Amino acid sequence: MSIFCLGVNHKTAPVELRERLAIAEHSVPSHLGEICGIEGIEEAVVLSTCNRVEIYGASALPEEATDRLIAYLESHFAVAPGEIDFYRQTGESAAHHLFEVASGLDSMVLGETEIFGQVKKAYAIAQETGTTARRMNKLFQQSFSVGKLVRSGSSIQQGSTSVGSAAVDLAEKIFGRLDGCRVMIIGAGEMSRTTAQSLLSRGARSIIVSNRSYDKAVELAAELKGEAIRFDDWETRLDHVDIIVSSTSAPHAVVHAPMIRRVMERRRGHSLFLIDIAVPRDIEEEVNEIDNVYLYNIDQLQQIASEGKARRERQIAICRDLIAAFLREKGIEALAGTPEDRAVREEAGKRNDSPGRALPQS
Amino acid sequence: MDDLYLILATLAFLGGFVLAVVSWRRESERPHGLSIPIAIAGLVFQSLFLHLRGQLHGRCPITNGAEVLVFVSWSIVILYLILGRAFRLSLLGVFSMPIVFLFQLFAIVYLAVADPGARPPAHLDPWLELHAAMSLLAYGAFGLAGIAGVMYLVQDRQLKSHKPGRLFYSMPPIRYLAIALVRLVVIGTVLLTVGIVAAFFMEVKPTRLHFLVSGAVWFAYALLLVVHAWKRLPPKRLSLSAIGAFALALATLSAL
Repeated sequence: MSIFCLGVNHKTAPVELRERLAIAEHSVPSHLGEICGIEGIEEAVVLSTCNRVEIYGASALPEEATDRLIAYLESHFAVAPGEIDFYRQTGESAAHHLFEVASGLDSMVLGETEIFGQVKKAYAIAQETGTTARRMNKLFQQSFSVGKLVRSGSSIQQGSTSVGSAAVDLAEKIFGRLDGCRVMIIGAGEMSRTTAQSLLSRGARSIIVSNRSYDKAVELAAELKGEAIRFDDWETRLDHVDIIVSSTSAPHAVVHAPMIRRVMERRRGHSLFLIDIAVPRDIEEEVNEIDNVYLYNIDQLQQIASEGKARRERQIAICRDLIAAFLREKGIEALAGTPEDRAVREEAGKRNDSPGRALPQS
Repeated sequence: MDDLYLILATLAFLGGFVLAVVSWRRESERPHGLSIPIAIAGLVFQSLFLHLRGQLHGRCPITNGAEVLVFVSWSIVILYLILGRAFRLSLLGVFSMPIVFLFQLFAIVYLAVADPGARPPAHLDPWLELHAAMSLLAYGAFGLAGIAGVMYLVQDRQLKSHKPGRLFYSMPPIRYLAIALVRLVVIGTVLLTVGIVAAFFMEVKPTRLHFLVSGAVWFAYALLLVVHAWKRLPPKRLSLSAIGAFALALATLSAL
């Protein structure tokens, strides 16, 4: 009995194909039942996210089992034979692939943590449906241990990878927890909305939205559960906000250094973080020279995001070393007792890099 | 034997510093897993050293420059272990370990070159012991406040420059640093106040110079707290003041 993995992900298939294969959470149990009804498949777990659709399973003859599984997917998801190039892996490679998936090493945003919860959820659904037994139980439980080990032993999840996350990370380096932070949005554009949502997702409260068109401000405020104010009034509220996100379409600066200096005199030592995502810029550059005031524009945020991506890429080798060390010590429990397991332990002792994979590397 | 404990403590702090640098080089958000156990080991060896020196003198072991430096280092380490975690200032160790290491190294050299040996008192005065112990604990708190001030300035510079360096992700939020700094100055000032009050009850009154120096240090920190409470000093100015005040306190140590 061995294990296998069959699927597509963001590296192997465009979204148009992935969305055809996507399995909604409520229909996963029925598919699991049908997959386990396929001749030769003993156990199964379906992992379906926006970036991947993967089926893990146990079978005595994994090659034949995955052939039948492809036929099942093609017939159930209106895919012409050969239209999708599924990757498939068996034994150690399949286990290793799941370990990298659970660790965020195979994600579009390298090191993202959401996938760990998605793997857990996929396993829980399969367990409830009754399509897991010893092999899948061991495999997934070990993947959770590996995921935790990688996250605690490396900095793979550290560093911003988008403008929104860079802004939020900077805010947390200034204020710590954002629970008590008040945010003002000047200019109700799309970038403001996404940045405000990122801040809200980390606990920021009381969003104030101001826009030249008051109706737009009201609309965005309603979406963000905040308060809309008229464009003429935003200056009067500056004393009581901690973060300002500005993205108006004004051809000149709307936030001036003397204005912020006056505000800071009244703020009694509280920091102020200004995010200028407008082009042309909304906030005078001299504002950053004021004590306790931190100003970032769109280029600076983008620079931090690209450095964050590079930092995460530098962590891949460390993560793979951690996984190799884990395998050296524990082996792959789902393959325990098989000749492959003994080979894994022997090879893990010699290997530093991850094993050769059928999957394309990003 | 006391020399051995001092050397072991110093090596532990050197090890703690090296681990902190390794974590920093690896761009890790968390300190190395061994950093706290190593700091605790250093504290244990420091305590054993101070205990043996206390037995040698038959009183609080602060009879020479080396012992004073070890005692101040001991206060910094103990406050770091207690407050560093409470204030979520994990990286405080990176900045405090070099200072502690240097203090201890100086103490080792001092004792190797000119250990004055046992200096038992003619008569044990508990007020003198209280005065000395509280004052040096206060110096530990002031030292840690100065270190928090340095960390604030480093992080402020990184934020202002728009180029977060390797340290950026490992450093605590600047708001926490500013809060910790004020709390450490409050703790230090309270301890020093107790030390100075105890001096009034000592059997042999301190010299006028001793009183003037202690009073000047107390006044500097008390003034800092009053001005901050009154005008809410900007954190950058507060940090610079804490660093300057600790430099003043250190400079006056030899006079005490």
